[in-house]
Amino acid sequence: MTGSVRQARAELTIRADSREARRASAWLESAAAREGVPPDQVVRLDHCLDEALANVISHGGPDAVSASVMLQLGIHRGRGICTAELLIVDEGLPFDPSVLPAGPAPRPASLADASIGGLGLAMIRSFSDELRYRRQDGCNHLAILVSWTETT
Amino acid sequence: MPLRYEDLNNEVRRISLSGRLDTVGSEEIADELASLSASANRGVVVDLSQVTFLSSMGIRALIAAAKARQANGGRMVLLVDGSDVVVRTLEATGVGELIPVYDDEGDAESAARA
Repeated sequence: MTGSVRQARAELTIRADSREARRASAWLESAAAREGVPPDQVVRLDHCLDEALANVISHGGPDAVSASVMLQLGIHRGRGICTAELLIVDEGLPFDPSVLPAGPAPRPASLADASIGGLGLAMIRSFSDELRYRRQDGCNHLAILVSWTETT
Repeated sequence: MPLRYEDLNNEVRRISLSGRLDTVGSEEIADELASLSASANRGVVVDLSQVTFLSSMGIRALIAAAKARQANGGRMVLLVDGSDVVVRTLEATGVGELIPVYDDEGDAESAARA
């Protein structure tokens, strides 16, 4: 599989396995720190990464779980705005989280009504500034972007 | 220890979670959390102030534990350190509207006992 993060600075390939998610998180933290991503932005990406990998593992189907997941981190700086882009490429069933309606997820009215679905996506949408998805070569390519201002 | 608990009196069980409640961490404590919540005498306070990361799997575990407590006729509430990312996670998922959240220990215990 090939990625395409603009100015990719770091890459990691993992198995689609929940224990590998911790290795991915450690990679993200160290790669992001090397690139000068502020800790509070790393936290946002870390949450999105954990949720996205959990989705791949639980919903991606047999092709996702038996294959690898590729991660790339890229940073773009320009005109006082910095953007970190985390790309996640997996071979699972097509799934585009960027097409959900904007705005807050519908809230269950009571604990009895609360179901377990949709929470992960609500978190990815809440912690990221932008999501970009495309399906290419039988793979999901999900880019999760967070931006912040930086005075040079 | 990611999960500790103590019974403060006959009325409130305080369950303290700590560390990283990512997908893996949450799966590790989910069953024990639900079981301790269900078996408490009356009210449960789940203390999240030492939690450094709260994923949706962690939230699922909290919801399951709250339902188990409610099924046995009591309340579960959450205690947080008001300024951190755990609060943001609770807000992003709307869980704070289902399970009462407090940033004061005394208020949390009173609410659990109610």
